[in-house]
Amino acid sequence: MKPQRRDWLPGYLFISPAVLLFLVFVAAPLVAAFGLSLFHWDLLSTPEFAGLDNFRQLVTDGATIRAVINTFVFAISSVITHIGIGMLLALGVHRTMTRGTKYFVRTAFFFPFLVSWAAVALVWKYVLDPTFGLANYYLSATTNWLASPTWALPTLIVVDWWHTIGYTFIILLAGLQTVPAQLHEAARVDGANAWWRFWSVTLPVMSPTIFFATVITFIGAFQIFDPMVIMTQGGPDGATRSIVQYTYEKGFQSFEIGYAAALSLVLFVVIMIVTGLQFRLSRRWVHL
Amino acid sequence: MGAPVRGRLLDLVLVLGGLLMIAPLVWLIITALAEPINAFQLPPQWIPRPPTLQNFQQVPELIPFAQMAWNSLQIAVITTAGALLTSALAAYAFSRLRFPGRDQIFSVLLAALVVPVQLTVVPIFIMMRWLHLVDTTVAIWLPALVNVFGIFFLRQYIASIPRELDEAAIMDGASHFWILFRVILPLARPGLTALGIFVFEASWNNFFWPYIFLSSPEKMTLPVGLVSLQGAMGGGPAVVLFAAITLVVLPILVLFLIFQRSFIASIATTGLRA
Repeated sequence: MKPQRRDWLPGYLFISPAVLLFLVFVAAPLVAAFGLSLFHWDLLSTPEFAGLDNFRQLVTDGATIRAVINTFVFAISSVITHIGIGMLLALGVHRTMTRGTKYFVRTAFFFPFLVSWAAVALVWKYVLDPTFGLANYYLSATTNWLASPTWALPTLIVVDWWHTIGYTFIILLAGLQTVPAQLHEAARVDGANAWWRFWSVTLPVMSPTIFFATVITFIGAFQIFDPMVIMTQGGPDGATRSIVQYTYEKGFQSFEIGYAAALSLVLFVVIMIVTGLQFRLSRRWVHL
Repeated sequence: MGAPVRGRLLDLVLVLGGLLMIAPLVWLIITALAEPINAFQLPPQWIPRPPTLQNFQQVPELIPFAQMAWNSLQIAVITTAGALLTSALAAYAFSRLRFPGRDQIFSVLLAALVVPVQLTVVPIFIMMRWLHLVDTTVAIWLPALVNVFGIFFLRQYIASIPRELDEAAIMDGASHFWILFRVILPLARPGLTALGIFVFEASWNNFFWPYIFLSSPEKMTLPVGLVSLQGAMGGGPAVVLFAAITLVVLPILVLFLIFQRSFIASIATTGLRA
């Protein structure tokens, strides 16, 4: 029986809401962003064709370079601390312990992830307050964490870790639970010690999960915006300004639409390259 | 003999770490319940003295809290219901129906997963301005009705449901609508729940998009409202801000304690973070 033309209709009908919305809110804006990046426009006057001016400005603008460096520092530190400590936590919880202890530890580390960044950033601003904050009281310090050019970015990395570790922890724990106990048993019979069992059994079996968590953590960290806007406004002196925050400032505060579009393309290209790179590298070490 | 001791020690370290993790949240709630005059004392009062609700009563005097909560809820519900519906329809077509271009269209959608919203926001803002939709809740939920990840995720889920069931229904002359809503979706419920929780939570906590599109207090969602309250405080008591934050945070934490299993499953199965 040859498929009839009318048999195709339900298929197109079913995908049409998603596809139409996709064209209007993803595909068209993507094309438009490329177009806008070639113009000077303040939303009010007539757009003025600028060729590659915005991209030339991109590589000479010190604030952009600073924002790109900050974002990379933030994202790389984020991946290392999330995956590293997240793995230790998952291993720590994936043992024999009383149900109550396990429940408490899992819940406590997961809780902050449920809280909106807006609330997290506001509470931590008070925790970090130099005079009446908890941080300085318990650390016996007098540092003004968010106003210090040295400490502001590392502080935001710590706050981001606190907020998001619950995600990494749960993903890694779920991966750890898929490691078959028989494999461990077999390795034990062969005389492998705990460290060697981790290295030769746990890690290879978990590599797809670790890979996945790394990609998601990196992409999420690269789009960081909320804590900078709420806690430091990118300061002091641009020390915590991220790419997305700079895009926001250019697009919605000084209305340099073309420049903002060019900046957002930088973000897009980096995410594409990193995702591609991670998939390529993963072939060497991920056992799928 | 040594192993159990080391295990207990590790338990202790983890529990202390857990206490440290929730300390800022506990401090938030205790401070919100304190008399303004005792609120920010050092050393911090971990055991709350006679709690007071006066800070909570002051919240509506500074921001239209109920309206903001309603906006947040409305946006999250519309976004979740809409995104689940468009995703389920498309996922069914991509996994069960045949039509020319099916796999190509799906590949294009999949490729769009690397397009960040921070790229599309500038053109969409211009579009919304042109449609006079800036500073309305429509500008928040309308673009969120399509969820590429949702399509991908549900397609995988539906693909794991045996085809014999819908083939039997087709024999009986059932329409695709009937099959999707009566056969497939009931079987895909765990997947729908996981996706639904994820979409709802992401919408409820979203700051970036509403911060750009909403400017009048009565249009704002709670996260943007909280940040605006901080700006409007001036010399006002910070405890009122803490009370407002508590009102936003506490319901989510309580919901989590009740539906913990579904929440965790949502993350473990979708694999996404908001």
